[in-house]
Order: sequence, then C-alpha cells, then structure tokens
Amino acid sequence: MIAQIFAVIIFLAMFVLIVTEVLERHVITLGCGLLTLLLVFGVGMRSMDAVIETLNVKSIFTLSFWYAAGEASESSSGINWATIIFVAGMMIMVEGMARVGFFRWLCMKIAKMVHYRVVPIFVTFMILSSFLAMFIDSITVILFLAAVTIELSQLLKFNPIPMILSEVFCANLGGSATMCGDPPNIIIGTSLGYSFGDFMQNTGILAGVSLITILIYFYFAFHKELEQSAAKIGDTASYPDPREAITDKRGFVVSALIFLCAVVLLVTHAQTGLTVAFIGTFIAIVTLITSGKNALSLIKKVDYKTLLFFIGLFVVVGGLEQTGILNLIASFIGRISGGNVMLMVAIIIWISAIASAFIDNIPFAATMIPVIKSLAATQGVDLSILAWTLAIGTDIGGSATPIGASANVVGIATAAKDGYIIKWGKYCKVMAPATVIVVLLSMLLIYVRYF
Amino acid sequence: MNKQLIISIGREFGSGGHEIAQKLSDIYQLTLYDQNILEEIAKKTNLDHNELRELEETKRNKLLSRTVRGMNNSATHNVTLLQFDFLKKKADAGESFIVVGRCAEFVLKGHPAVISFFVLGDHDVKKQRIMELYHLSDIEARAMMYDNDRRRKQYHNSYCPSKWGDSRYYDLSINSSKLGIDGSVKIMCEYINARIVEM
Repeated sequence: MIAQIFAVIIFLAMFVLIVTEVLERHVITLGCGLLTLLLVFGVGMRSMDAVIETLNVKSIFTLSFWYAAGEASESSSGINWATIIFVAGMMIMVEGMARVGFFRWLCMKIAKMVHYRVVPIFVTFMILSSFLAMFIDSITVILFLAAVTIELSQLLKFNPIPMILSEVFCANLGGSATMCGDPPNIIIGTSLGYSFGDFMQNTGILAGVSLITILIYFYFAFHKELEQSAAKIGDTASYPDPREAITDKRGFVVSALIFLCAVVLLVTHAQTGLTVAFIGTFIAIVTLITSGKNALSLIKKVDYKTLLFFIGLFVVVGGLEQTGILNLIASFIGRISGGNVMLMVAIIIWISAIASAFIDNIPFAATMIPVIKSLAATQGVDLSILAWTLAIGTDIGGSATPIGASANVVGIATAAKDGYIIKWGKYCKVMAPATVIVVLLSMLLIYVRYF
Repeated sequence: MNKQLIISIGREFGSGGHEIAQKLSDIYQLTLYDQNILEEIAKKTNLDHNELRELEETKRNKLLSRTVRGMNNSATHNVTLLQFDFLKKKADAGESFIVVGRCAEFVLKGHPAVISFFVLGDHDVKKQRIMELYHLSDIEARAMMYDNDRRRKQYHNSYCPSKWGDSRYYDLSINSSKLGIDGSVKIMCEYINARIVEM
C-alpha cells in the first residue's frame, strides 16, 4: 500500500512539475525516476527484482533486442531501451540531413515545382509535412517547413500563419501513420511488439483517410485568405534556386541514400527480423561514418535531454506498473464500459485525445500501454484495436491546443521569430475543430473496420 | 555626439521614470524606445500593434505555455523575445537610444555603451503623482500602483537572473521623490556625462 501511495504521488508530482516547467523536464523525470527507485521499490516494496526489471538493462544484451525472428514482443515493463536507441539513431540521421540542406532543398524544390503559386504550395506542403512526419520527428519537419513557409510568405506576400497551422496539424497526423512517426507510436510498437507494417495497415489507413478529409477542411478554412493576400507572382527566375540550399553535394546524396535506406529497413523490418533498435543503431553508425569530420558535431547536436526524459519517465511509469496501480485503472475502465468494447474504444480515444491536448502525450501513452494490456487480458479484448485507438488518440489530440504537441510549439515559436504571433484563440479556432473531426472520424473508422 | 550612448531606465510605477527618460531623450537627442518598439515590429509584420501591446511586459502563463528545445508557444514570451531582439540589433548596429523597462539593463548587459538606471520613489509621493495624472482616488491609485509594480516585477524576474529594482544590478538607482523629476534628471546627466568621458 505504501509503495502504491509513493508511486502515485511521484507520478502526479512529475506531471505537475512538467506542466509548470519549474525545472527542465528531463531533470524532473530523472529526479522522479530516482525517487521511484528509492521510495517505491526500496522503501515500499523492498524489491531488488523490481529495480532490475524496471532498469531493464539486461534486455539490451539479448539477441531478440537486435534481431527478432518472428513476432517477438518487447517487455513493456521499465525502461524501453529500444525506443531510446531508435530515437537517438534517427536524431543523428536527421541532423546529418539538416547539415547538408536536405529539408530546405526539398521544400524549395516543391515550391518551384508548383510555380510558386500560393494555394498549390499550401496543399503540397501539407502533404509533404504528413509524409516527412511518417519517418522523421515532427519537430524537425516543422522547424524546416515553417522557416521555408515564412521565407516564401515574404517573397509572395501572403500571411504564413494559416499555412504553418495546417503544416503543424498534418505533421501530427502524419506521425500517427507509422510506428516511428510519433514517440507514443514507437513506445506502443516496441512495448507491444507491433511492426512498422502493422501500423501502416491500421493507423496508416486511418491517417490517410483523415489526411484527405483535413486537406479539404483546411482548404475551405484558408484558401480565400491565402488567395487574397498573395501578390501577383513575379518573375520566378529571380526566386531562390533550390540547389542553393545544398551545402555539401556529396553529403546531400549520401544523406538522401541513408534516409531511403532507413525507410526501406523500417518498412521491411517485420520481414527481415531487424528490430528498430538495430535500425536506429545502424543508421546512426552509417551517418557518422559518412559524415567524416562532421561526425562529432552531429553527436553534439543530439537532443540528449529528450533521451534522458524518456529514461526517467519509463522508471516512474514502471513504478506505477510494478505496484499494480495501472491494473486498477484498467479494471476501472473495464467496469465503466461494462465489457462493451465499442464503449472502451470511445473512452480510450477521447480520453487520450483530450489529455494529449493539454499534457505531454509521451508520458500519457507510456502510462496507458500497461493499462490497455491489462484491459485486453482481463476483458478479452483484441489488444491491437486498443493499441491503434491509443495511438490515434494521443497523436491527434495533441493538435487541438498550442501546448498539445511539440510540433505546435515549434511552429508557433518559429512564426513568432518573424513577428507572426499566434495566440491561443487564433490557434484553437481552427485546430480544435480539425482535431475533433479527425478523432471522430477515426473512431467511426475503427468501429466500421474492427467490429 | 560621436560616441554610442544607450541609456536603460527601469522604474517603479508612479516614480516618473518615463518622464525622466523623455527629458534625457531631449537633452541628449536620443530616440526613446518604450511601447513604440511594438509599432516598429508591427510595421514589419502588418500586425496590429495594439494587439501586441496587451502582451508586452507581462509574465507568461506557465500553465498555458510549453517549452520545446528552448522554443515556447506563449504569445507574451514571444513578444518579449522580439523586443529583446530589437534592442540587441539596435545596440549592435551602433545606434544610440534610451529604453524604458523591457529588462534592457539585462538584455544589453556587457555592451560598453550602456548606462543603466533604476528610478524608484516614496510610496506617498508616487501615489499622489498617480492620483493627479490619472484622476484617481487614493484607493484606486494605490491599487494601480500595486498591480503595475507587481506585473513589472514578475515580468522582469521571469526573464532576468537579477531581481527587479535590486541596486546591485543597475549602474545608479535614484529616488525621484527626494529631488523631484528635474532634480533627478540633473543628477543623472552629471553621471551620464562622467561616464561618457570614461567611454
């Protein structure tokens, strides 16, 4: 009982501290993780086994961590090292691509392909945002896309805010399509043993239908404003040449090939048996080797704070799991849904979406994974349906408010640097209805497809 | 004047800090920056500067904002950063100016042309000045003074490691109630002139 009380207090304190930003979030989760080890496992449970299981270090030294012949499942208990290693590897690859100007080139190339016409740029950038976010973290996608959007807005005299908001929404939506698109999906996939293909066939289809719907929504919401504010297109020959964005031609080709290789490895990992931990490590090593003297600067650019945040978070959630708190939550959801799976899906998708609109979706998803696992075991529900529901709820819900997802913050801050201030009202007026539409649509699609 | 001169003035509400800045601006023929910084920013972006004005010199709401890799969604935070950036660019471009508030003594710290002041005042003198200036009752003036000083303090202390009004972080702190506005300006001019010689 004392262990459960400690676990809940530490978890709630962690959430409050993250929201209030008293300290940097990695310091908060690491501190709370340490308290979990000491108070929950040490004082409360007096269990060294719980500590070892939560730290989960030995899993790294097993063959199945790197190569899983068949449908091997990772343990959801404790630190999910596969997620951390994969995220670190992708960070190095993305930094390598950014260094050579890949993202800026891609954005400018597309703008040139549509002859710098504002509405076609608006539509193609939404699609580009979704596509890139399927493989690359949405922060990087928006950092580059928003910067190029502002540059083009100054050139073509249009208000960049509608375009940036649409790109942010599509980045979050694209992230929901694949296993590596959004951190909650990586955690769900590695914790429950789902492959890239599993996500593509389930959340991928939901995201695809939602993208078509949301393209229409944003088109009708913004096309008049964009057409009105856009100046007549001048001599496009005087516009920046996409090739100018490339800082290192050889590095550019190599980066593009590595990215392609990463996509192929991810798409085929269920067939090849290579785990995401292996793919992340492999991609990072290849990027570093081919970067030569720039390798050290790439390593320095890795967002270690996010990786440390993950580690601390997994330990705190491990405390809740080991003390049985998450089983209690699962049985509560089971009770109020009365065993009705459709109601269970509705509860999970809307609670996930609403919670993710206001709090970080990564701790939420990490907490909910053991809950849905327990629900599936006790209520006899297909775990995969709950997993896709959780993924969509957490990934999409974050779009509703400016603080719901990292991409939103980055998009707003990038626009603000050039004086385009996006307040809560302006943001939510367009993004909250879009979020409700997609969550509702996804719920209906889940009902149609799985029931 | 050939030398670059930047005067930053922090002030308590009702102390006459703004009026002092205006007089120094006239004496040294310097551009005065206060809320008009937002007009400059608004001009560049076609935004309504009145919309920006309600966001300035205000502490961000932590519950409604989030930081990701050093970036924040808060409109007040971003307006503040735009103003800081504006001041830094002006200073780096070699311009001379006077700036009121906006954490300028911290933002421009280390710049050789900066002279920083903090203008404070006696409670009753400040209250009397506010009552006359805004035609308010005793209670209303006190409330206005309290609210503005609290807002300025929260804003300043959330962006600067130094505390608002702490004399250790300004070159000179002066109580304008003792010598009045003109008397304070005179003392401040003497100090500025002495510093200019040293620059």
